[in-house]
Amino acid sequence: MNFWQRMQQMDRRWVYLMVGISVIFPFILPITLPVSITPEAQMLYDHIEALPDSSTVMLVFDYYPSTIAECEPMTIAAARHFFEKDCRVITLSNIPLGGPTMAEQVTRTVAEQYGKEYGVDYVNLGYKANYVAVLSGMGQSIESIFPTDNSGTPLDELPLMDSVVNYEQIDFIFEVADNATADYWVSIVNAGYGVPIGCGTTAVSAPKYYAFVDAGQFVGLLGGMKGAAEYEQLIEQEGDAMVGMGAQSLVHLLIIALVIVGNLGFFVGGIGRRKGAK
Amino acid sequence: MSGIEILQIWIMAFLTLALFSFLYKDNAVYKLAEHIFAGLSAGYYVGLIWDTVIVQQLWEPLIAGKALLIVPGLMGLLMFGRFSQQYSWISRVSLAFVMGTTSGIFLVTQLHGLVLAQMRSTMRSMAGSDGITDLLLSLVIVVGVIATLIYFYFSKEHKGILGGTAKVGVWFIMISFGAHFGYTVMGRVSLLIGRVQFLIQDWIGSFGQII
Amino acid sequence: MKTTVPIIVAFLAGVALVLAFFFDQRTLIGSLSQELRVWLSIVGGFTLLLGVVSITRVNYAAVKQRKEGWFFKLITLVSIFVMAVPALLPSSWSSLFGRQEGSIYDWLFLYMDAPMMATMFATLAFYIASAAYRAFRARSPESTLLLVTATVIMLWRVPMGEWFLDQLPGDIPFFLNTYIMNGINMAVQRGIIIGAALGAASMSLRIILGIERTYMGKG
Repeated sequence: MNFWQRMQQMDRRWVYLMVGISVIFPFILPITLPVSITPEAQMLYDHIEALPDSSTVMLVFDYYPSTIAECEPMTIAAARHFFEKDCRVITLSNIPLGGPTMAEQVTRTVAEQYGKEYGVDYVNLGYKANYVAVLSGMGQSIESIFPTDNSGTPLDELPLMDSVVNYEQIDFIFEVADNATADYWVSIVNAGYGVPIGCGTTAVSAPKYYAFVDAGQFVGLLGGMKGAAEYEQLIEQEGDAMVGMGAQSLVHLLIIALVIVGNLGFFVGGIGRRKGAK
Repeated sequence: MSGIEILQIWIMAFLTLALFSFLYKDNAVYKLAEHIFAGLSAGYYVGLIWDTVIVQQLWEPLIAGKALLIVPGLMGLLMFGRFSQQYSWISRVSLAFVMGTTSGIFLVTQLHGLVLAQMRSTMRSMAGSDGITDLLLSLVIVVGVIATLIYFYFSKEHKGILGGTAKVGVWFIMISFGAHFGYTVMGRVSLLIGRVQFLIQDWIGSFGQII
Repeated sequence: MKTTVPIIVAFLAGVALVLAFFFDQRTLIGSLSQELRVWLSIVGGFTLLLGVVSITRVNYAAVKQRKEGWFFKLITLVSIFVMAVPALLPSSWSSLFGRQEGSIYDWLFLYMDAPMMATMFATLAFYIASAAYRAFRARSPESTLLLVTATVIMLWRVPMGEWFLDQLPGDIPFFLNTYIMNGINMAVQRGIIIGAALGAASMSLRIILGIERTYMGKG
C-alpha cells in the first residue's frame, strides 16, 4: 500500500479533527480580514437607506434554529438599520419551530438598545400556520390572519397597527429565510402586491435567488454568514458574522486542500486507474 | 454573569458536546440528547399551535361571534380521523380543502409570480443589452435557461437537436451545481462556526466566573 | 361519498381562490376567498398537531411493548409532555406557564431545543468535508467543471481566498460574480424555477379538477 492509498483509507475522524482545529484556531489567535461587499448586498443596503424615515417595514424570521449562525446576524443587522432610521418594524414568522420566539428575542434586544417602545415602534405578530394562506391573506387584511400579536394582544390595541391594514401600508419587507418560503414571498407578495422585498438567506439557498435579484423581484440579497458580515460592515457595526470570517476562511482552505489531495491520490496514486480496470 | 446564566450555558454546552460526540462514534449520551431534542421539538409545536391557532385564531374570534369559524374547527378535528382504520376517510374532506385552496393559490401565483416574471426578465436582458459584453452575457442567460429547461424535459428522448441542447444544458448545470456546492460548504461551515463560537466564548468564557 | 365529496370540496375551494385573483377584494368572491384563507391557516395548524399525535402514538406503542430502545422513546415522550403541558396552562396561573418570556416553554426552547438543533446541523460541516475529500473527483469533463467551479467559489466567498484571487491577473472576483453567479448559475436556476413552477401549476390544476387524487390515500 503506497502513500496515496494510505491517505485514501485514512479514518474519517482525522478529517473531522482537522476541520475542528481549523474552526477553533482563529478564535484563539484572531485573524482580522477585510470583507469585500458584493453588489447584491450593496443594493439591499442602498434600498433600505433610501427608505423615508418612519417607513413601515416587515422583518420576517423565516428560519429555524438550525441556521441561527447564518441568519440571526442578518436579522440583528437589519433590525439595527431599521431602528436607526426610525422605521416602524413589524416582525412575523412562518416557521413553527422557534420562529416567533427568535423574532421576539432578537427584536426586543435590539429595540431596547435603541430605546424603542413595543406597540408603537415595533410589533411581533408571531406565527400563524400555513404560509401560503398567511402570505396571501395579509394582502387583504393582516388582522384577519393575525387577530392578535404574538402574546395575544388584539391588534387594535397596538398603536402601530392602527394605520396598517394590509401590504398597501408596508414600504419594504426584509425576508430572512433558510427555506423555500422566500419563493412564496416573491410569487405571492411581490408579484401580487408589488411590495419591494430584500432577502437574507443561507448560503445553501443563495445561488437560486440570484434569479430573483436579476428579475427585480428582490431588491438585494445577503448570502450566508459572508452576506451577513457584508451587511454588518455596511452599517458599520461589527457582529458575530464578521468575527466568524477568519474561521470560515481557514476551513474553506482546508477543504480545498483535501479536494486537491483526494484528486492527487486518485490520479497520481493510480487509484482511479485501478478502479477503472475493475 | 449570574449563577442561573452559568447553569444555562453549561446545559447548552453539555447538549452541544453530547451531539458532537456522535462524530467519534454512536453512544448513549448522544442518543439521550437526540431523543430529548425530538421530544422538545414536538412539544414546541403543541404549545405554539394551541396558543397561536386554536386560542388566538379560532376560539377567541369564535366566542366573539364569528360563528363560521366552527367549519375550520370541525375540519381540523376531522383530520384526526386518520388514526381510525374505519373512519380514516372522513379526514379526506379536510385534506381536500387544504389541497384545493393551496392549489387555487398556487395555480395563479406560480404562473404569474414565477414563470411569467422570470421569462420576462430573460427576454428583457436581451432587449436591454448595453454593449457587446452585456449582449454576450444576455446570450449566455438565454441559452442557459433554454438548455436547462430542455435537459429537464423527459417526455421526449434526448436525441438530435434536443440531445445537443441537453448536452449544453449539462455543462451549464455542472457549473451552477459547482457554485451551489461551494456555497453549501460555506453554509455548513458557518453553522459549525456558530457552535464553536458559543463553546469558546460563552462556555469556556464562563470558566473564569466559576473559578 | 368517500371520494366524491372531497373532490367537490377541492374543486370549489380551488376555483374560489383562482377566481379571487381576478376580482376586487371588496367583492363577494374577495371576501369569500379571504374567509377560506383564514380557514386554511386554522386547518393547517391542526395538521401540525396531527404530526405530534402520530409521534406520540408511535413512541407510546414502542414503550408499551418494550421494543428495542424503548427507554429512549420514553425520554422522547417525557420531553414532549415537559415542553407542551406548561405551555397549555394559562399564564395567569403562573409566569412559568404559557409561552411568554421566562416561561418553562421559552426556557426549554432557548437553552435546550435551539442549541441542539443548531448542533445537529453543524455536524454536517464535518460530513461535507469528509465527502469532499473522498468523493469529489474529476472523473469526467462534466465533473471537472463542477469541481473547478466549486473550488473557485469556495475561495471567492471567504476573505482569505478573495485576497489570493486578487493577487492573480485579471479581476477574478468580478468575473465570478458577474459571469458565473449572475450569468451561468442564474440562467440554470431560472430554468429550474420556471420548470418547477410549471410543474406546481399543472399539479394544482390536476388537483382542482379531481384528476390527481393520490393525496386521499387508499380506500
